[in-house]
Amino acid sequence: MEEKQTEYSIFEVFIQRTQAEHHVHVGSLVAPSPDVAIQTARENFLRREKAVNIWVVPRDQITATPYEPDFFTREMDRKYREVAGYTENGRLWRMFKEKAITLEEIVAYVEGRKARERKKQA
Amino acid sequence: MTEDVRYARFMERIERGEKIEATDWMPDEYRHLLIKLIHMHAVSEIMGAYPEKEWVPKAPTLRRKLAIMAKVQDEMGHGQLLLRVAEDLAAPLGKTREDLVEDVYKSRVKFHNVFHMEAKTWADAGVIGWLVDGAAIINQAALLETSYAPYARVLKRICAEESFHMQHGENIILALAMGTEEQKQMLQDALNYWWESLLFFFGPKEVTPAAERMLHYRIRTKTNEELRQKFLDKYVPRIWSIGLTIPDPHLRYDEEKKEWVYTEPDWEKFGRIVRYNEGPKSKERMELRRTAHEGQRWVREAMIRSRMATAAV
Amino acid sequence: MKFENAAQAKQNERVLTILKDLLFQLADDELTLGHRDSEWLGLCPDIEGDVAFSSIAQDEVGHAVFFFDLLHELGEEDPDSLAFNRSSKARRNGVLLERGNGDWAYSVARHYFYDLFEDLRLQAIADSSYLPLAHGAAKIRREEVYHLMHMHLWFTRLGKAGGEAKERLEKAVQSIWPELGGLLSFGLHEQELLKHGIISFDTHELRRRWTSRMKAAFSEAGLMWPGEIPEPRMDGRKGEHSEELDELLSTMTEVYRMDPAANW
Repeated sequence: MEEKQTEYSIFEVFIQRTQAEHHVHVGSLVAPSPDVAIQTARENFLRREKAVNIWVVPRDQITATPYEPDFFTREMDRKYREVAGYTENGRLWRMFKEKAITLEEIVAYVEGRKARERKKQA
Repeated sequence: MTEDVRYARFMERIERGEKIEATDWMPDEYRHLLIKLIHMHAVSEIMGAYPEKEWVPKAPTLRRKLAIMAKVQDEMGHGQLLLRVAEDLAAPLGKTREDLVEDVYKSRVKFHNVFHMEAKTWADAGVIGWLVDGAAIINQAALLETSYAPYARVLKRICAEESFHMQHGENIILALAMGTEEQKQMLQDALNYWWESLLFFFGPKEVTPAAERMLHYRIRTKTNEELRQKFLDKYVPRIWSIGLTIPDPHLRYDEEKKEWVYTEPDWEKFGRIVRYNEGPKSKERMELRRTAHEGQRWVREAMIRSRMATAAV
Repeated sequence: MKFENAAQAKQNERVLTILKDLLFQLADDELTLGHRDSEWLGLCPDIEGDVAFSSIAQDEVGHAVFFFDLLHELGEEDPDSLAFNRSSKARRNGVLLERGNGDWAYSVARHYFYDLFEDLRLQAIADSSYLPLAHGAAKIRREEVYHLMHMHLWFTRLGKAGGEAKERLEKAVQSIWPELGGLLSFGLHEQELLKHGIISFDTHELRRRWTSRMKAAFSEAGLMWPGEIPEPRMDGRKGEHSEELDELLSTMTEVYRMDPAANW
């Protein structure tokens, strides 16, 4: 078909804002080829924001779940794998005259100590 | 599943406040209403670039030149985002980008009345940025709650960028309002020219059957008149505060009814402008789109051909 | 000898003159092309490309602002007056850049030729003895990377496509070529600019580098090399311009001229 020759392809666009983050889907565009898509993606999606990387993926290369709630359902109790399932630890530690401790506290402590060490070196 | 059951389930989702996705089953009516609305929205962004584009080469300072370029660019960008949403909805009907753009100059899609009008002076460019965009922002903000998720997502991005447009328009207006007598007069003339178009922009007062169906599907959740009132709430005091006169002797706020009373725009005249593209600039701007699209089909075809050539290497 | 700031450059009258002449070339090139680019708004072959091209237009005008700022620091009028209130005779842009946009092939070819030239010119001033210029050049050159990449892609793809696109591109190259020499130059004071270390290589070297890189692109695009770059009949670097610049300026300054003293 003559007319179909003018049809661009659809590309999904993923932006990685910093290297500490994964790519995030921001939308789609049409382009004649992936290299053009990469270039237009920068201006169509990053006119104001900063980024370190862009992916463009031909739409037909994406396999997706349907929007079916059943696929994502977890009905039964899964507290055993969550922090909220272990609230009793606090009470148990108190029996040993110790406080409960969270992962966040440890991370903060580790990072804090590092910061102090850097200060000492400087 | 019979059609009735499907429909009933769909409406249950809508009423629960769930969002619909492009790949979900949806009633034909819902799809068609969305295509009509979003296609018109997309095309209005693209056609809306033209009145301001005319002032891009004439912007009177370097800063204004850069800002109005960025603003018109954003509008094309919004057109792009919205076209993609409309294209995905229209894909099952065999329609693509090429078709949706062609529809503009083949009069198969309407665009907002304001973009059929002339922008004769720099102040017109300012009023478009301030009040036309202001009206559009109110419209779009109300659509953020739409039941169609892909539309809601792009609207979020669009509204974020409109906040720059708002500041840009206000800045031009404030400079003129604080300027020479000639600049002030230019601004007043522009307001006189745009006022009626602005009131018409929100659509008829009564809830039309099509609007009723959109409310039914929660594609939109507010009526035209509610939005027009919100626009008047926000903008009339500001227009007055910078010393401008609104060209409507009957305009007043009715304290009892808690609503604005205004002279209605010429529904018939503007209706014809939108329906039959009879505005002062309709034909010229549609021609620009035709030239851009049809006149440069050779470019798009070439880019596809050379992709093939490159891929083959 | 290095000139760390405007005050130091101002102490040497000759340096000041030739430096300003070069800055006008830079500023006027960027403004003129940025203005022409902005005329494509809403008219590009596809919507996505329209958005991308507008960013390039904005970058060019933004670069012009930077160079006008430098001129202002050196004692010239404020940037808006420099942009809006100078006659065409005072303008130092290459004539090629003031020409109407023509078709997409002409715009792409002209832009690509300019971007490669701009990249080399920025190289020539990267170690400029005028430090504010050297610092700016480094920043601008980073922004120009995208332009060069974008225009290279468009230029080579239109050529590779063959058919109408290639024919149009060949025609564009033909009409650009006679005016190319007026762009690829440092103007009247090149030897002095070199002597004072404001630029690090001359037009001859610039054209050699330009030609060697451009030849590769021509061969990738499947185009014939048009030959030597001829000297221009009209030299924008000397203030010689076409009527198209007068038309451009009359449009650009239409609102400004209503009241140059007003705040817009």
